[in-house]
Amino acid sequence: MKHYDLLIVDDEQRYADMLAKRLGLRHLNCKVCYDGRTAIEIIEGEPFPVVILDLRLPDIYGTEVLTRIKQCRPETAVIILTGHGTEKDREQCMAHGAHSFINKPLDIDRLIAMVALIKEGAS
Amino acid sequence: MMKSLKRLQEAIWPRFHRNDDEHLSPYYTFQDYRQTWGMTIFILMATALVPLVIMTLIYYQLIETSINTESLLRTERLASNARRAVTFFLEERLDALTFTVNEMGYDRLTNPGRLSEVLRNLKLGFGGLTDLSVIADTGTQVTYAGPFNLEGKDYSNQPWFLECQQHNACVSETFSGYRDVPHMVVAVKSVRADGRFFVLRATLETERLIQALSSYKTGEHADIFLVNREGLLQTPSQFYEGESHHMNIPLPAYADRTKAEMSVDKNGQPILIGYAFIDTNIAPTSFILMVVKQKAGMMKVWLDLRSHINWFFGVSAVIIAMVITLTSTVMVNKIFQADRQKAETMVAAERNSQLASIGQLAAGVAHEINNPLALINETAGYVKDLFTIKQQYKDDPDLVEHIDSIIDAVDRCGTITRQLLGFSRHFDVQTQPIDLKDMVADVINFHKKEAEYRDIKIHVDIPETIPLIETDRGKLQQIILNLVNNAFQAIANGCFLDIRAEMDGPEQVCLFIQDNGCGISEDHLNKVFEPFFTTKKEGQGTGLGLSITYGLVQKLHGNITVQSKTDQGTTFVVTLPVHIQKEILS
Repeated sequence: MKHYDLLIVDDEQRYADMLAKRLGLRHLNCKVCYDGRTAIEIIEGEPFPVVILDLRLPDIYGTEVLTRIKQCRPETAVIILTGHGTEKDREQCMAHGAHSFINKPLDIDRLIAMVALIKEGAS
Repeated sequence: MMKSLKRLQEAIWPRFHRNDDEHLSPYYTFQDYRQTWGMTIFILMATALVPLVIMTLIYYQLIETSINTESLLRTERLASNARRAVTFFLEERLDALTFTVNEMGYDRLTNPGRLSEVLRNLKLGFGGLTDLSVIADTGTQVTYAGPFNLEGKDYSNQPWFLECQQHNACVSETFSGYRDVPHMVVAVKSVRADGRFFVLRATLETERLIQALSSYKTGEHADIFLVNREGLLQTPSQFYEGESHHMNIPLPAYADRTKAEMSVDKNGQPILIGYAFIDTNIAPTSFILMVVKQKAGMMKVWLDLRSHINWFFGVSAVIIAMVITLTSTVMVNKIFQADRQKAETMVAAERNSQLASIGQLAAGVAHEINNPLALINETAGYVKDLFTIKQQYKDDPDLVEHIDSIIDAVDRCGTITRQLLGFSRHFDVQTQPIDLKDMVADVINFHKKEAEYRDIKIHVDIPETIPLIETDRGKLQQIILNLVNNAFQAIANGCFLDIRAEMDGPEQVCLFIQDNGCGISEDHLNKVFEPFFTTKKEGQGTGLGLSITYGLVQKLHGNITVQSKTDQGTTFVVTLPVHIQKEILS
């Protein structure tokens, strides 16, 4: 079975795919899904050290997905990556156990650094 | 001195609109405060003074009418008393003559000795008799007692003799006669035993009558005298004797009783005339008794009083006018100030709503473009990754440069969208006590290097007396940072930046950020807080900095104003509450 470093959850398919490719180039194996329910199913099926989660998903709102992930896999670090994040969203997500809150467009090096830190912490 | 003069001028002639508040005009309740002020004063003055004037005039009218009526009554009473005196004077003498003719008869009276005795007795009784004579029905004087020898004189054509013949008695008009002494004749007719008549005639000196009349004279401007029915004076008049002994005032119309009326003398001065046509019980006379008084003399006391009342009225009117003017000025000024404050609030509210709607639009735009931007970012990033991480494109630096420019552009777009989002985001305000001095020092630290490099002198003066401000640290920092950034962009090398603070009352702090840079022109001054307004070259400024600052200050329940002069510098004044009201925040 293939080992994944990250799960990317974003309804913008091309964005999610592109991000996965870029992270792949940096030796991070990414699994991609485009809605909340699939994301929860995947998480329930296998553990991911890091999940990159968009807030605006077509079926379930991101915070709900975050709560379910943290219930199921408390050790998983969830990074919220959103284009519409308000301060309230940020507070809510942090309260629900998000690792960090990043607004789009993304600085890839910052993300890489963040993931590296998480992995270091886990090991 | 100058200040109090200016204040006095403001109290009398207040300035309402000023040059710098034309933009407030549409929001004023009253467009023309000068007119409102004038109307207020006019209406109050009219309300206060018109009834006062009317009441005073009515009072004057009543008093004068009452004085006139009283004067007429008094004059009439005086004339009536004098008439009784004159009538009594004449009747007394006529009665005495009647008694004499009846008592003594023709025969005894024609005896000169007896007649002289009668004359002596009458003189003793009444005085003022010059002579006494008996005249036969032919008109010839039969007997005479007196100083002159007039026996045999014919009186048959004399008017008094004819009248006596007709009325049994008569009273003549006064005349000077041969002796040039004013006198008058009274005569009574009697019938002898043989049926023929004779007349007993007495000559009276008018002096007694004049004395009797003058005893009724009252006041220095009063005159009392007798005239005949043609207006010829019968007794002397002090003031009203005209040509050929006629009186120079109009002759009154006949009345059978004493009357008084208003008239004017030859100079047009108002006078009161009391008069009576005198008739005795025994014989009619042609005398008219005249009592004449100058009205001015009778009104003098009232006129003096009226002059005092007029003075009092004038002074009162001036005081009322002053009080009304000052009160109206103060009140209208207060209304104006309140209206001005309302207009300012309206302008601010309009600006806020404008900002809010622009903010909503901006947020919408930002949300929509943010996702595509993110995609551009990742795609461009991926292309760059291919170049840098995969070795096969590393020898093509030109392509990498192009990709970099895409990423730069995306970066810039990202900055704008973040700023646009700043308009609509409802950041909660989290308050904590802030030391303004520390905060300003922190912000200055960001610019320390630049200041040294550009030789900009930064002077900070925040006194120890400024208390800790309860406000949002992040927002306040952003406000100060924006304004300092703004100042740094506006000033040339070698200029100065002055940051100071002072208390505005116990509950407000004013922070002044002043530079001596290029300044803002008057046309632009009203627009500096509008979004997207910038005077910088394209690409150098977004025009959002000051409008975001404005929004942040509003969120902290403060106020920001700007004063500027071209080439002299700009001062931003941020006023913040020392304690932010928590209930408003929620």
